[in-house]
Amino acid sequence: MTGSLAAYQSLLDLVLLNCGLALSQFVVLRAGVFSVATAGLASIGAYAAGIATLRWGAGAAVGLLAATAAGMLTALLLSLPLARLRGVYQAIATVAMVQIVLSLALYATDVTGGANGLNGVPKLVGTPELAILVLAMVYVLHSLGRSRIGYAFDAIRQDETVAVTLGVSVAGYQALAFGLSGAIAGLTGGLMAYHNRSVVPEEFGFGMLVTVLAYVVLGGRRSVLGPLVGALILSLLPELARPLADNRLIVHGAVLMLVITYLPHGIVDSLQIAIRRRATAASRAQIVGKEAPDGPA
Amino acid sequence: MLAQQTLNALVAGSVYALFALGFTLIFGVHHILNLAHGAVFMWGAFVGLYAVTWLNAPFAVAIVGAAIAAGLLSVALDWVAFRPLRRRGAPEFSAIISSIGAGLILMNAAQRLSQTRVMRYPFGTFPIEVYKVLGLRVTLLQLTIVGSVVFIVAALFAYLFYTGFGRQIRAVAVNQRTASLLGVNPDAVYFQTFFISGALAGVAGVLIGIAFNSVHFLMGEPYMLRAFVVIVLGGLGSIGGAVIAGLLLGLIQTMTIAYVSTDLSDAVIFSLLFLILLVRPTGFFGTLHSQKRVARE
Repeated sequence: MTGSLAAYQSLLDLVLLNCGLALSQFVVLRAGVFSVATAGLASIGAYAAGIATLRWGAGAAVGLLAATAAGMLTALLLSLPLARLRGVYQAIATVAMVQIVLSLALYATDVTGGANGLNGVPKLVGTPELAILVLAMVYVLHSLGRSRIGYAFDAIRQDETVAVTLGVSVAGYQALAFGLSGAIAGLTGGLMAYHNRSVVPEEFGFGMLVTVLAYVVLGGRRSVLGPLVGALILSLLPELARPLADNRLIVHGAVLMLVITYLPHGIVDSLQIAIRRRATAASRAQIVGKEAPDGPA
Repeated sequence: MLAQQTLNALVAGSVYALFALGFTLIFGVHHILNLAHGAVFMWGAFVGLYAVTWLNAPFAVAIVGAAIAAGLLSVALDWVAFRPLRRRGAPEFSAIISSIGAGLILMNAAQRLSQTRVMRYPFGTFPIEVYKVLGLRVTLLQLTIVGSVVFIVAALFAYLFYTGFGRQIRAVAVNQRTASLLGVNPDAVYFQTFFISGALAGVAGVLIGIAFNSVHFLMGEPYMLRAFVVIVLGGLGSIGGAVIAGLLLGLIQTMTIAYVSTDLSDAVIFSLLFLILLVRPTGFFGTLHSQKRVARE
């Protein structure tokens, strides 16, 4: 019984960490930045936390702060060149960034441990800490999303030209989104280091990039619930059945293709659109129903 | 020593050019960043290898077979992954996601087929002959690789710039709507560009497979990531630019590995990509109208 409980707990931890990564990818996509830098930024966060603890004996709080700051600063620096580029080229630039981080992590053996990564990181976070921090991220993104900032993000994503004519500073808001994404990715990376007790460089490569993108595409890019639902489904699917786990790539691939073709807004956003449409239809029917009796007879 | 390294670089670079040509053709003509191109390349290598090991086909037949098979696979990819999106008028973002998904599925299928093994050509598939030219070691294989790349690139140039079909492709590259108003059938153009692109990738796959005598399901990924460097360096959709950039990439990589460090070669290559995007995002061979698609005003 305790065995299965422990299994569920590690699964819960995995889902929480994946939610963090998904939230980081979500913020940039919501603001219309086609960045896929989350994997690289998380890697920087993980190394920052791991090195802070292993070298300087930093505690969890200091290490996670360092991870968050490292991720955010890198992202803000990156946002300067990204602001000059358009959609596809932003993706290419950030893929390059992920590769540079990975390659440097493998090269700088003295600092990062090279291909062996960092080992022997003390386990400083458990499920409660993960849950609290992920909830905090969700809260921040949710309240930002309902403020003017969220509307600015939506405007930029839907039509940049319209956003500019409305007086929205595209570069400014995209830098903000990117900085947030970096902070969240860095924090999640730090949590991964303290939770997994090690930092493995290859873990933060092209594979993670694709998986995290799949979370947000599946869940949706507008509501903060989207990335959470996407991460939950794709993290749990392999656990449901053995064949699904063996063919994880096919499952992710098919999800990406089918969702982007037939459900381009993702699960959560599509549901919200459908509900809203039904609500407007219902209220319109009500108005029509009311008007009919007092209409011009 | 330097001359020998330059020769090796030329061989590596010519294969990069061959691989990247197909990638840049699709990107330049149809504005699709086809991230499944690496998987098509890998399947070309698989078909070539299986033609030799299962069917005992001669190497020349294996290359032609791989070209045709990869070409058809690429056309199928267009039908399944991109055509439904075109019908809906989906944004660039969707095509990238869809191609990532298709690439994952193709990779998983190859993994199953090969049972995750690294496969090799049987001894004697390609005669090992070494010539001494001006004090340099040149193998027959290297000559064959450079020779076939030169032939294929010349044929592609002739096709694109001296035939009616090529004129149609170039017309679609400038503006698909206008081209179809002028009587160009876009579906036929899609068929041709995807077939050519896949066939080029297939040949590149077989050449790489025999050059390193190693064929496995993950072999496409590093080439695809480096093809980003080629299309950015060479300028959007520029055929000549892609060839020169491919050769340059081979040169830079070989020199980094020979004189700096193997681990650092990716960092150097992708930092170069980043630098180009910073300084001159349209690349060095791009035309005026590419400016509009790459950079923001």
